[in-house]
Amino acid sequence: MLNSTAAPLKRSTVEKVINKQIFMLFLVLLVMSLISAIASEIWRKRTVNTHWYLFLKETNVASFGFNLLTFVILYNNLIPISLQVTLEMVKFAQAIFINWDLDMYYAPTDTPAMARTSNLNEELGQIKYIFSDKTGTLTRNEMEFKQCSIAGIRYEEELEESSMIAEMKKSNEQAKKIREFMVALSVCHTVVPERDEDNPTIITYQASSPDEQALVVGARKYGVMFHTRTPSHVVISVNDVDEKYEILNVIEFTSTRKRMSVVVRTPEGKLTLMVKGADSVICERLSPNQPIREVTMQHLEEFATLGLRTLCIATTDLSEATYSHWKEDYHQASTAIVDREKKVAAIAEKIEKNLTLLGATAIEDKLQDGVPESIDKLARAGIKIWVLTGDKQETAINIGFSSKLLKQGMEIVVLNTDSLDETREELKKQQQPKRDGATALVVDGQTLEYALSYDCRQDFITFAVECQAVICCRVSPLQKAELVELVKNHVKAITLAIGDGANDVGMIQAAHVGIGISGVEGLQAVCASDYAISQFRFLTKLLLVHGAWNYSRVTKLILYSFYKNICLYVIEFWFAVVSGWSGQIVFERWIIGLYNVIFTAAPPLALGLFDRHSTVKNLLQCPALYEVSQNSTLFNVQIFWLWIINAVYHSVILFWMPVCALSHDIAFKDGKVGDYLFLGNMVYTYVVITVCLKAGLETSAWTMLSHLSIWGSIASWFLFLAVYSHMWPTFDLAPVMVGMDKYVFGCFLFWMMLLLVPFAALIRDFAWAAAQRTLCKNMRQEVQELEKANLDPTTAVQNVSRKK
Amino acid sequence: MMSSSESEDKGPSRRPKDTKFKQQKLPAWQPIMTAGTVLPVFFAIGIAFVPLGVALLITADNVQEKIIPYTHCKPVAGTAASSHDTCAEYISNNTGATCQCHINFSLKEDFRGDVYMYYGLTNFYQNHRRYVKSRNDNQLRGVKQSKSTDDCDPFYMTENDTTRYYYAPCGAIANSMFNDTLKLNFVSHATLVSVGLLKKDIAWTTDRTIKFKNPEGKTLKEAFKGTIKPVNWQKAVYELDPDDDSNNGYQNEDLIVWMRTAALPNFRKLYRRVNHTEQFVEGLPKGNYTLLVDYNYPVVGFDGEKKMIPDDDILAGREEPVPWHRVLGRRQPLHTPGHHLPHRPHPSRQEVSLSSRFFTAT
Repeated sequence: MLNSTAAPLKRSTVEKVINKQIFMLFLVLLVMSLISAIASEIWRKRTVNTHWYLFLKETNVASFGFNLLTFVILYNNLIPISLQVTLEMVKFAQAIFINWDLDMYYAPTDTPAMARTSNLNEELGQIKYIFSDKTGTLTRNEMEFKQCSIAGIRYEEELEESSMIAEMKKSNEQAKKIREFMVALSVCHTVVPERDEDNPTIITYQASSPDEQALVVGARKYGVMFHTRTPSHVVISVNDVDEKYEILNVIEFTSTRKRMSVVVRTPEGKLTLMVKGADSVICERLSPNQPIREVTMQHLEEFATLGLRTLCIATTDLSEATYSHWKEDYHQASTAIVDREKKVAAIAEKIEKNLTLLGATAIEDKLQDGVPESIDKLARAGIKIWVLTGDKQETAINIGFSSKLLKQGMEIVVLNTDSLDETREELKKQQQPKRDGATALVVDGQTLEYALSYDCRQDFITFAVECQAVICCRVSPLQKAELVELVKNHVKAITLAIGDGANDVGMIQAAHVGIGISGVEGLQAVCASDYAISQFRFLTKLLLVHGAWNYSRVTKLILYSFYKNICLYVIEFWFAVVSGWSGQIVFERWIIGLYNVIFTAAPPLALGLFDRHSTVKNLLQCPALYEVSQNSTLFNVQIFWLWIINAVYHSVILFWMPVCALSHDIAFKDGKVGDYLFLGNMVYTYVVITVCLKAGLETSAWTMLSHLSIWGSIASWFLFLAVYSHMWPTFDLAPVMVGMDKYVFGCFLFWMMLLLVPFAALIRDFAWAAAQRTLCKNMRQEVQELEKANLDPTTAVQNVSRKK
Repeated sequence: MMSSSESEDKGPSRRPKDTKFKQQKLPAWQPIMTAGTVLPVFFAIGIAFVPLGVALLITADNVQEKIIPYTHCKPVAGTAASSHDTCAEYISNNTGATCQCHINFSLKEDFRGDVYMYYGLTNFYQNHRRYVKSRNDNQLRGVKQSKSTDDCDPFYMTENDTTRYYYAPCGAIANSMFNDTLKLNFVSHATLVSVGLLKKDIAWTTDRTIKFKNPEGKTLKEAFKGTIKPVNWQKAVYELDPDDDSNNGYQNEDLIVWMRTAALPNFRKLYRRVNHTEQFVEGLPKGNYTLLVDYNYPVVGFDGEKKMIPDDDILAGREEPVPWHRVLGRRQPLHTPGHHLPHRPHPSRQEVSLSSRFFTAT
């Protein structure tokens, strides 16, 4: 709880941009309404005495405020309310697509990916920094006791009977030491044994920490089996002889203490404190004169370079007097109401001293499948990866190499200092001339504390964000969150944190996107996360495919929704120009009401759900494609307003072309003339067609459903017009529409314009798209073309990025 | 299948279904637009538009049009109006009066095929919001005293001391119905031949069959009992065409045409079709014609305003370059309110146009 922060409400960057633009658009709406209302007032002043048929004098209701309101209502859909609804639906479905993805399903634990929020789907396409926990995230969190160092002798696990077991059978000094070591392993822990109901000889262990479990299992392998735990006792069997240890106190592991210890009464009646913990904390507390200290340290280093997790084991005997005195203090501290953890730690210090080093353990935590490949891909996608781990520096560097986070040829800067001044010096050195190659930074927890202090913070972060990879060792959960916050504020880039344990919750909540690994270490991380996956390697598909797709889809959907509404509603403005600024609508009211509900509802949905700018294969093979969405090149304020301008341009063509065509009024072969709604329905038809085709133009991959949405929408309008024209007088609805189907569909001019107007509107868009692709092709388009030609896109992408 | 054997043990597996839809693998067509693909398409569409353009050119050539403005026509000598310079002036001084004027014009070409006669109004805002909704479609359908009538206000009903009279038809659109009468004479070898004009089948057929019906009654006059003619009308709705019952009352096609409100402030409406059955079978031959106008419809100002307003066209043209928005408004002396009848100042210009139709199948 100490490390927890309040859960934040996360919103995507795209959404924030949109909110700002909606505000701007609202101002535009107000300005347009104001212009219209003022024009209306002027028009009225000038016509009130002359245009007798309008009875402007008889009813004097048209006040300025009323007019303004009329126009605000008339133009209200410049801000597409339907966008929010469409967006919610689409994002919800996108989240379901993530859950459905078979590539992110982990069969051994029967876990599919889980999108716990749908707010951040598009944010996944913009990640620049990944903060990853190591244990359980990059690794499997399945610990295996691999090696140990006892009394200065290193034992490696061998396939056959190990040398240690052989030695244990002897009865020399070393055998005694080994025995003592193993007993410590099987007594000093909080593991609970569980006997199989059918076969009581089979014992499984339930542990909160996989390390402890590995140690207990390891000890069992060497003949010291822990099998029973009662509230006050631990029973182990040493070479099939039961020994009963009375557990007097357990001082638990915390991330600040970095050790745990138990006070036991041995079967012989001696009082003993057994401690296991990180080498740094144990070493500080050893009694002087430890002959094996140097050699054990040597072994620890060797273990770490192999990428093994290390722990030191030590004991000390206690006198009855010291213990009984200490017991009182401890009892008080452990029942304290405030600051219990701190108090317990302080009391524990009093007893955890003068330790005798028994040896060290080395536990292997294997990398998960596909981690090196994934890290490589993510790095090639321009994502910088920070690994935050509690491990030793050597262990972390080793894991860094084996996971391809660090590569040969990379310059590795190790910051490992003991004081603030030293840290500052080191950082100053790093500010010197820029290096050519990639740089990796390895920083130690202690140094990090200095580096994050106020006067070094800026130097540190400026240097760190430039590094291709950063490894922070021995960091506390709070530091993890602090680092994420720091980077988030410093570079204004989108960050992602991924972790599996309770200690990652802070950073998962701090980052823009939090990913939880649904693994061995419980559910806290998953509960705090936005997306849960069960393997680190699924991250590549989540980001490079779902993220890139969703970003592209959502941005297209947003731009398109604004476009289609502006396209239609600016026409109201054009009509106001010719209708005396009276606020008359050129369309029938239900027809305009159903615009977003029926006639143009499907194309944005199809864009948001089914569009695929590149195939899965290419997105994974050419991670560089990710940079398109990462750098917001296809969606920003400029592009947003270009779309708006385009929409206005389309509305000009869509309204004024039919107006010019009908300027003779004579629309029909038999000399009859149309009316305002005839013009309106004509214009509306062209709007629906143009807007639907524009959706087609934006669609990169036309699936069956895209076809259905586009052609179906157009068809739905024609169908609706045919039916709706026959409502009146059977229903008290739309008398103005009577005969519209017959006369609109029966008009040669209508069909001729049907070919002409949408084409005239879209020709610019077509030409622009083609010119853009021909003259300055982007990488995404290059890949699309190569894919079509059945060529391998990877080499081409490399060429493109090299040109840059 | 591993998962299926697992699912037998542990209940349903959470393994997602491997369908094309769920895995987002629906086959797709990926159009790629480059200059290489788009230019040929443009070219093809361009070629496809060529016959369209040719067809348009041909029809445009076949369309013949003659426009005769008569806003400021002179009254026929020897009538009551002849003391005035123009008919417009006369009727603005004599509300409700009729002024006759004749306009001679000539057609330089034969007008072949069916010839239609339109009247046109400029700067007349039939598309104004308050105007457009000022009608009652149920009333026009013959439903007596329908409930929703607010739209027609202030032309819904009128009350004298005891009785209520409903305007038939109600509303501003009907109230401002165009009521000039136009006739056409052909001057053939110094003799006048009247050109036969058909007054039916000029409105939308759906309007005639569905939207406009007279109310029930023994006679038409009886059917409209309890109603009163709109304030600006010279005669009641059941007197619109005394010669033809099927063209009278709400079913009068001139009314129906007028009630379909135009989209733009400069509009024309079909007035008559030239009768080609006995005479003028080929169309209208070139030569001299006379347009005979019964001028009723006020389009220029009256009540002394006229004197302060010089020629509309000149001033209007100077003020407003946008052609369809020739606003006439200038500062005018305030009227003293109190007249119940609306003053009837003017839209700027009124014209009649003759035009043969667009797509003659000669």
